[in-house]
Amino acid sequence: MKKGEIVFFAVCVAFFGFMFYDGLDLTSHGRSGEIGSAFWPLIALGASALFSVVLLISSVKKFRREGAAEDLAPEAVVEKKRQRITVTLSVVCFLAYLVLVPWIGFILSTLIYIPAFALALGERRKWVLLVSPFLLTAIIVAVFAKFITIPFPKGVGIFAEFSRLFY
Amino acid sequence: MFDIYMQAFATVLMPQNLIAMTLGALWGLLAGALPGISTSMGVVLLLSFTYTLSPMTAFVLLIGAYLGGITGGSITSILFGIPGEPSSVPTVIEGHSLAKQGRAAYAMWVYLLCSVFGGLFSVFVMILATPLISNFALRFGPPEYFALTVLGLSVVSGLSGGSMMKGFLSCFFGLFLATVGTDGITGEERFTFDTVTLLGGINFVVAMVGLLAVSEIFIEAEEPFKEYKGGVQYRGLLKEMPPFALFKKYWLTMVRSPIIGTIVGALPGAGATIAAFLAYGEAARTAKHEPEKFGKGAVEGLMAAECANNASTGGSMTILLSLGIPGSNTTAMLVAAFMIHGMQPGPLLLTQRPDIVYGIFVAMLLTNLLLLVLTGISIRLFLELNRLPYSVFSAAIMILCVIGAFGLNNSVDDLFLMFAFSVIGYFMRKFGVPVAPCILALVLGDLAELSLRRSLLLSGGSPLGLISSPISVILLAGALLSIVYPLFKKPKMLNGV
Repeated sequence: MKKGEIVFFAVCVAFFGFMFYDGLDLTSHGRSGEIGSAFWPLIALGASALFSVVLLISSVKKFRREGAAEDLAPEAVVEKKRQRITVTLSVVCFLAYLVLVPWIGFILSTLIYIPAFALALGERRKWVLLVSPFLLTAIIVAVFAKFITIPFPKGVGIFAEFSRLFY
Repeated sequence: MFDIYMQAFATVLMPQNLIAMTLGALWGLLAGALPGISTSMGVVLLLSFTYTLSPMTAFVLLIGAYLGGITGGSITSILFGIPGEPSSVPTVIEGHSLAKQGRAAYAMWVYLLCSVFGGLFSVFVMILATPLISNFALRFGPPEYFALTVLGLSVVSGLSGGSMMKGFLSCFFGLFLATVGTDGITGEERFTFDTVTLLGGINFVVAMVGLLAVSEIFIEAEEPFKEYKGGVQYRGLLKEMPPFALFKKYWLTMVRSPIIGTIVGALPGAGATIAAFLAYGEAARTAKHEPEKFGKGAVEGLMAAECANNASTGGSMTILLSLGIPGSNTTAMLVAAFMIHGMQPGPLLLTQRPDIVYGIFVAMLLTNLLLLVLTGISIRLFLELNRLPYSVFSAAIMILCVIGAFGLNNSVDDLFLMFAFSVIGYFMRKFGVPVAPCILALVLGDLAELSLRRSLLLSGGSPLGLISSPISVILLAGALLSIVYPLFKKPKMLNGV
């Protein structure tokens, strides 16, 4: 966590620093009394960069003071690893879903996404994994595509033909 | 005036609005009762339903969810000892203790009646105060608006949690995000990197859904399959109805707590949690009847917390409707709803759309009454829903988030923007950087910048123009005080050590 905090604030410093540098190209002055479009974002970015630097320094100090090694029990290490894997899998599942939606359409991607996400979270009950995707997708399509008429992506080619059967 | 209220009642009582109110309140109760979903998340998820609704129906739905969420947070608090909302923590202390003593139905009655009483009290205050504050605020020019937004942003101290430094970082990040897109005065493109998606700026509904809702699921994903153990036996409300004498006995708490709740709710950044704790603390400090019971099932403590947390809703709504300042995450979501329907909350709203403002008053009044009935009859249902597999439930929430972000502009690009914010939100939460100040700054940033630049244009570039009126001086002093006072009282809060 301590190392992660240092990396996080270091990324913040780099990001805000880069954006500040990019913001310098904006117009800084306009008509008489006008402060230009650079003023406000540069204040926001400058302050963000400053706070990030301070937080980075305090994280590094804390790291040095308390030491790099965290004395975790073996069970805690295993638990931490499990947490990381679960979160990474759920993020990957979600990203894959967003990538798939425009290509294979909302219905098919949702049917794949629900059990995949549930599996990533550790769900193993077969009836939950088999029944819930169909049930949830049917409810969502009925409410949002039919009733509220949100034009969900239909996909391309044969997938678009499939989607048109439903909405 | 009477005509306006009659019209508002007639509109809110239309069948579609009554259905929306009931569904909103039920959803809010569910969101509040389930520990994985917060009230603000419940409101965000409902935004996608409102795109095609009429503005009044949309607000009736969202108000239902808002009030339902605050009320529902206490169901699991009393019966399982798990606070559905942070504002329900005092309810866990006293309500769950009562439930463990075999008085669950009794505690539920006290909670329900006090919640509704607190909610109704604050609605009446809102009805009286909103027009007065709005009329006063109509005199505001750019310098006063700038001071007002600074005051709104100064609530960082209240929203920061442990470390104010991290709260400021989040706030300035939000202010930066608000500048992305085409500049409102010069038309210059800022931080768009030549992409069409960012030309119109970052839509804050998309950002909110990512930062608040999706990131919360990622955080929750670390602890899947919550099993609620240790729940008490609940036999039904009719088993143990408290006598009227009970409320007469604690009349001072019943009067004082809604006042505390309404005032604290009106303070930007304070909200239901602080209101509940303050009222609870005050009740414990001044308890005359059985003070030794506090912490072990004191009815007075339960009353104070419930009256105050529900009363905070009216206070928050007063400031939102009259000044356009969202004091909490949930009211920031309501700003988004106003914008989706082409309105801007603030002093002009009362003159431009009185139908909406008075409709909201009436909707809040009726929703509070409806919640008394709905909560009573649906407690068992929520208890069963609490046993649903979280894995499927969270997948459904993710899909609702996708629909919420997509349905706004029917754009797939918005989905990826939402994903980016969800990852940012996850890391922010992971490393203790609160997301609420970022959302608040994203909402208020545009107005703050435009009013600052307009003020300086009017004063010929002189910063003294910003403090040219007593109102702006008072507001800026208030902002300074709200930042400095917590630091003065608790200096370690700056670093969050």
